[in-house]
Amino acid sequence: MPLPTMTHSSPFLLPSPPPPPADPADAASYAVVVLNQRLPRFAPLVWTRAQLRVCADGGANRVFDGMPDLLPGEDPDEIRERYKPDAIKGDMDSIRPEVKEYYSNLGAKIIDESHDQDTTDLHKCISFITRNPPDPDNSNLCILVLGALGGRFDHEMGNINVLYHFSSIRIILLSDDSSIFLLPKTHSHEIRVDPSIEGPHCGLIPMGAPSSSTTTTGLRWNLDNTSMSYGGLVSTSNIVEEEKVTVTSDSDLIWTISLRKHA
Amino acid sequence: MPELLPGEDPDEIRERYKPDAIKGDMDSIRPEVKEYYSNLGAKIIDESHDQDTTDLHKCISFITTNPPDPDNSNLCILVLGALGGRFDHEMGNINVLYHFSSIRIVLLSDDSSIFLLPKAHSHEIRVDPSIEGPHCGLIPMGAPSSSTTTTGLRWNLDNTSMSYGGLVSTSNIVDEEKVTVTSDSDLIWTISLRKHA
Repeated sequence: MPLPTMTHSSPFLLPSPPPPPADPADAASYAVVVLNQRLPRFAPLVWTRAQLRVCADGGANRVFDGMPDLLPGEDPDEIRERYKPDAIKGDMDSIRPEVKEYYSNLGAKIIDESHDQDTTDLHKCISFITRNPPDPDNSNLCILVLGALGGRFDHEMGNINVLYHFSSIRIILLSDDSSIFLLPKTHSHEIRVDPSIEGPHCGLIPMGAPSSSTTTTGLRWNLDNTSMSYGGLVSTSNIVEEEKVTVTSDSDLIWTISLRKHA
Repeated sequence: MPELLPGEDPDEIRERYKPDAIKGDMDSIRPEVKEYYSNLGAKIIDESHDQDTTDLHKCISFITTNPPDPDNSNLCILVLGALGGRFDHEMGNINVLYHFSSIRIVLLSDDSSIFLLPKAHSHEIRVDPSIEGPHCGLIPMGAPSSSTTTTGLRWNLDNTSMSYGGLVSTSNIVDEEKVTVTSDSDLIWTISLRKHA
């Protein structure tokens, strides 16, 4: 039995929003989560594309300080009012009191989760979004996460584990340099690459377990029933050669692609 | 180096901090930088023909064939710039730790230090709280672990299994100056580095 196909694309990084699809049911709805790291340069763009915006604790400081920095020449107070989160969730031990008060006064939900020490801030935010989706009728929810990569290494690894825990939900971790998401083994994957915004550097990472067999098309060095593992082959510094890449594997893989830097 | 040592003469700093060797594809190094260090005696080793291994892998190979002290069996290789940046590079660099599992290699960033704990050994990690910690983690990278046991952590593992999709020990805390780890699987140990004024 062939696996069902899952398609992936990144229209949320395009400078102008793509036209809506013919069938409204195909439209994606986006939520954005901001963790406590410096915002990537495309943060205002991604924020604008999203219908629901959640900050994890100190991520609210980053939005408060960082959005005006990324939009110089505009009035900082107007920017802060425009780029206000719908919810701020987490331990509340990093958010500055004045930032918390500012967004609370603007109507942001403040959800204190300091009692829960068992899950990461990202996990809490993903849970929140799944229970409060921006468009409950829309099955095409995609959660974009800023600030999950780089920084403290254990945080980065914990954030990637959240992708495995919520493997049935589209979650994309974004940094200035890279985009990463999970390719669950339950599906065959079709990844549409837009060379104006992403690539050509890519990789397939058998993060949690070895893969006995992975097959790809569309890459410079395709895999053909090839095994991958830490200690063996991990496909890094690969190159996307076609606008459609396919991946089928017996194991969950992390796909990563570089993001193009624009002036 | 001059930027990290302000107040000193940049030219003196560059002469003092000169590499012994520069190895790799040579597609990123600026021509004037290559010439400057070549003139100071650095070995320039062009490996652009080898597309199969990462730059870090090539450098580790070079060091193992040209160790600083051949009589010393306590070689430890410290790597700057392996973490952060492009995610596939970071993952490829971590894979180098697995490929050279019998060599001590420590990847360092401003925030973190990471190294491999091979399953063939029980591990004793001495933590100096003036420079590192308290945040730490144990990462079953590449394969699940059925059983890991630790001492010295706020949330110790006791014959506990770990895996992606299950438990990965992150945001743990070092509670003692000696941490011990025994596991049936190779693990990546990570500890935060303290920031000083």
